[in-house]
Amino acid sequence: MPELNPIVVEAGIGETGPPQQGVNLSVRQWLRTNLFSNWFNAILTLLGVFAALLMLRGVLNFTFSENREWDAVRTNLRALMTLSYPESQYVRVWVAVGFVMALAGMSAGIWANWGGVSVKRMSTWLMGSGGLFALCVLLREPSVILDSEGKVLRTVEGSLQRESVWAAMTDRLGWWIAAVVLITLGAAIWAWCSEPDRRNNSVAVTTVVFSGLGLLVLSLWLVPYGHYAFADGTYIAVPGRTVAFSTKMPWTVMWLLLFGLYFVGRSFRDTRWQGIVRGSSNFLWLISPMALFWVVLRDPALDYAHVLSTDLPMGLAFGVLGGVLLWALTRSDLGEAGRLTAVGLLGFAVFNWVAAFFGLYPMLQKARISFLLVALAALLAPNFIGEVAKRRQLILGWLSAMALVHYMATMMNTPSTVDIQSSEFLGGLGLTLFVAVIVVLLSFPLGVLLALGRTSKFPIFRMLSTSYIEIIRGVPLISVLIFFSVMVPLFLPDGMELAELAAVLTGYTLFSAAYLAENVRGGLQSVTKGQYEAADALGLTAAQRTGFIVLPQGLRVSIPQLVGQVISTFKETSLLAIIGLFDFLRVANSVIPAQSEFMGVKREGILLVAMIYFFFNFTISKYSQRLERRVGLGER
Amino acid sequence: MRKKTMWRLLATLFAITLAASACGGSDSSSDDSTASDAGTAEETEVTLAASGGSLLETIIDRGTLNCGVSGSAVAFSELQADGSMAGFDADYCRVVAAAILGDANKVNFVSLTAAERFTAVQTGDVDLLMRNTTWTQSRDSSVGMDFGPTTYYDGQQLMGRASDGFSGSSQVSDVGGSVICTSAGTTTEKNIADAASEAGVSIELQTFEDFDTVTNNFISGACDIITTDGSGLVGRKAKQQPDGENWVIFPATPISKEPLGPTYGQNDSAFADAVNWAVYATIIADEKGVNSSNVDDMLANGDTETIRLLGGEGELQTEMGLSSDAFYQVIKQVGNYDEIYSRSLNPVGLSREGSANAAWTDGGLVYAPPAR
Repeated sequence: MPELNPIVVEAGIGETGPPQQGVNLSVRQWLRTNLFSNWFNAILTLLGVFAALLMLRGVLNFTFSENREWDAVRTNLRALMTLSYPESQYVRVWVAVGFVMALAGMSAGIWANWGGVSVKRMSTWLMGSGGLFALCVLLREPSVILDSEGKVLRTVEGSLQRESVWAAMTDRLGWWIAAVVLITLGAAIWAWCSEPDRRNNSVAVTTVVFSGLGLLVLSLWLVPYGHYAFADGTYIAVPGRTVAFSTKMPWTVMWLLLFGLYFVGRSFRDTRWQGIVRGSSNFLWLISPMALFWVVLRDPALDYAHVLSTDLPMGLAFGVLGGVLLWALTRSDLGEAGRLTAVGLLGFAVFNWVAAFFGLYPMLQKARISFLLVALAALLAPNFIGEVAKRRQLILGWLSAMALVHYMATMMNTPSTVDIQSSEFLGGLGLTLFVAVIVVLLSFPLGVLLALGRTSKFPIFRMLSTSYIEIIRGVPLISVLIFFSVMVPLFLPDGMELAELAAVLTGYTLFSAAYLAENVRGGLQSVTKGQYEAADALGLTAAQRTGFIVLPQGLRVSIPQLVGQVISTFKETSLLAIIGLFDFLRVANSVIPAQSEFMGVKREGILLVAMIYFFFNFTISKYSQRLERRVGLGER
Repeated sequence: MRKKTMWRLLATLFAITLAASACGGSDSSSDDSTASDAGTAEETEVTLAASGGSLLETIIDRGTLNCGVSGSAVAFSELQADGSMAGFDADYCRVVAAAILGDANKVNFVSLTAAERFTAVQTGDVDLLMRNTTWTQSRDSSVGMDFGPTTYYDGQQLMGRASDGFSGSSQVSDVGGSVICTSAGTTTEKNIADAASEAGVSIELQTFEDFDTVTNNFISGACDIITTDGSGLVGRKAKQQPDGENWVIFPATPISKEPLGPTYGQNDSAFADAVNWAVYATIIADEKGVNSSNVDDMLANGDTETIRLLGGEGELQTEMGLSSDAFYQVIKQVGNYDEIYSRSLNPVGLSREGSANAAWTDGGLVYAPPAR
């Protein structure tokens, strides 16, 4: 952990941005100081480079070998992304992706101050990638190595017998040209901005990202990646054409959404709408995973008679009566009666849940949840006693929470119209991302609560949290998942059932929360006692002290561990395969090799899966580094 | 003042309680699953013990058949690139759905691992298994399953290279000293060990996680011989044999018997009859030359048994609790045994001719009792 290293900390003082000490050295000086400072280092460097090149060559030979069946991956791309989602309703998937793109663009516009990348740095990237390209072209073995008399010396796995080294290199002319173009371009830009007055030229990160993505999307229209698509249930493959219209059109729209909403977001910046837009985009980020999954992708078939006769009146009753109750509870002349009522309500809510398990007291699940929420809101109510505006805040919050809960519950409870002959309507990357996002979102608040509980002064909270965390941490994730998918359904009362996915989400969230709690606790413990005392001296309540003083500092310190937790949560979703869900990896590992057309072809798919996992995790990791810099972690 | 407030609060509380329980009382059973996801929300879970009735009625009420398949068994049940389930077993799920529900597409395929398949039937997660499940005495008795007519006669065989001196007439006694590979945790492992010790030869047995890995090791030369069910070996040979190599499958008489067919919970005759006769219908149709393209013609001009089977005189079907045209729908929508077989198994190199899966009239074992 760099923030604990005193040397790094010292070097970081007084500097903004990344450490600059390497910039003034020439390439030769840099090599000498960093890689060849003494003979031992030189040997290590050479060995390391040799090993790296050897590995790179292995990967290249594997990837471009002629008996790789990349067709298996191409044909199954859609299966890898969404598995069984029906073609006729595929527009729903695009709507979901588009919504996320639009939201991302909006947030980037309204929130982010990404800063710039210096042009000189970009030129080194260009040259570097050109060099890497050239290296790859050079490294990859020719399919067959011939000796001077044209006799075959050695064949590389599964190749056509045609190439000498020279023939191989000329064969790859296109790649050579690409490498040369990249290097020349980079060198030209480097030379251009070496002039003193252009040295500090930079381009905004957003420009770089958007134009990079734009180029990718443009390449879909121009470069002959090959035309692979399903049309009316049959699969059509035409290599040598640009990708299918049903691929390039949606991605163009996605890019336009991202790009367009960025400007919309930016136009709201520093206006009086800024606060509202920021608030609502945060809110949308929070609810969009569930709403997209259960409403957009599932397309519930609402039974309007039932909605009007039961769901709507019930939601209204809870909203209105709960609102009236909360209004009464926030009166300033209420005294202890408010607390008593809240505790009474909590008891009633808990009783409902307990009763449900013995089948004693039939009631809609929604009502149970609502009663619990009423009780929690009532417990919170004393914080809102005071002027009318404050009380109105609570009531509005309550009404919107009720609207959201009842809407989502109704939607989840309604059967899907998505016509699918499988037990889960979504699989592949879609399922992996959904599970990862939901688990991270849900386990975060739970984890923070557990961490607070474990550091609490009250023995009962401390003991409960500690035992929860220790029990969960003492059990491997796989057994938690199996427990929730196999055992828990047996414990449920008659008539109550838990779908596989819901069971898994519950189990995984509970598991992840325990680990998250320990990460957060580490952060909380780094907050010095002086901070607590200062907060007490200011007369803050315990809740205010936690919310305004302790948590912000504690969470800031735990960013690296929290990000580590997010990444491992994302990767461990691959364990879902064991309890029968078709996650991304399982599609590559056991669905594709079982197709009679691609029997036994699994390495190609797994390579792709590994690359996509890496892309996501590297992005998360990079973003967290930015976040750390922004909150000044490690510079204090 | 304070007392008054208290009363008002309690009154509100009471009103909420009333409102909620009023809404809750009416339809608590049908709507009681907020936590449950998507497709299953509607599903009423019925186990035999609980309902007392037959699964047949439950399926007709529900409108879909929950069919347990492997999902990763080449040519038997494979998930296609567009997410649909294809293969021999998958088609037999469709046969049952067409017979019971009149629509071959009303199947909800549930992919099960070998370990969870029987539990899934016992808990009612699936109505039946079409999952490469071998009919054995212990499964029929102590595991609590019942088995329908065998749809595919399989048997464990070995595969080696002709360059190592193996041929189609090799026997287990010829494999002494070889490295034999198979997938771990299956009965194939035990079968080959038993067969080798019976033949009095010593072998080195290696096991791997799945059969893809086994085959890759065979291709790379780490294994001399691989062994699994014959259907699997034929498929591997057809698809993965490199140019210039000749893989041979032996012995001609498999070292084990693996009859595969529909599997369901025991003591439910009505459902068992429906499943069994749906399967028999495909076999009889094959015997009578009725297929999906000429079924309309045969319904009008076929012999008496054909017409009876296809619902011309529908009492036999209606007495079973099916609609009179149940088997007509089976043949029309899915096809007869030969069509189902050729659709999935011919592409991987399995042919009926000369195998146990030929019709009884051609010297095979595929035989159905008469429809009368």
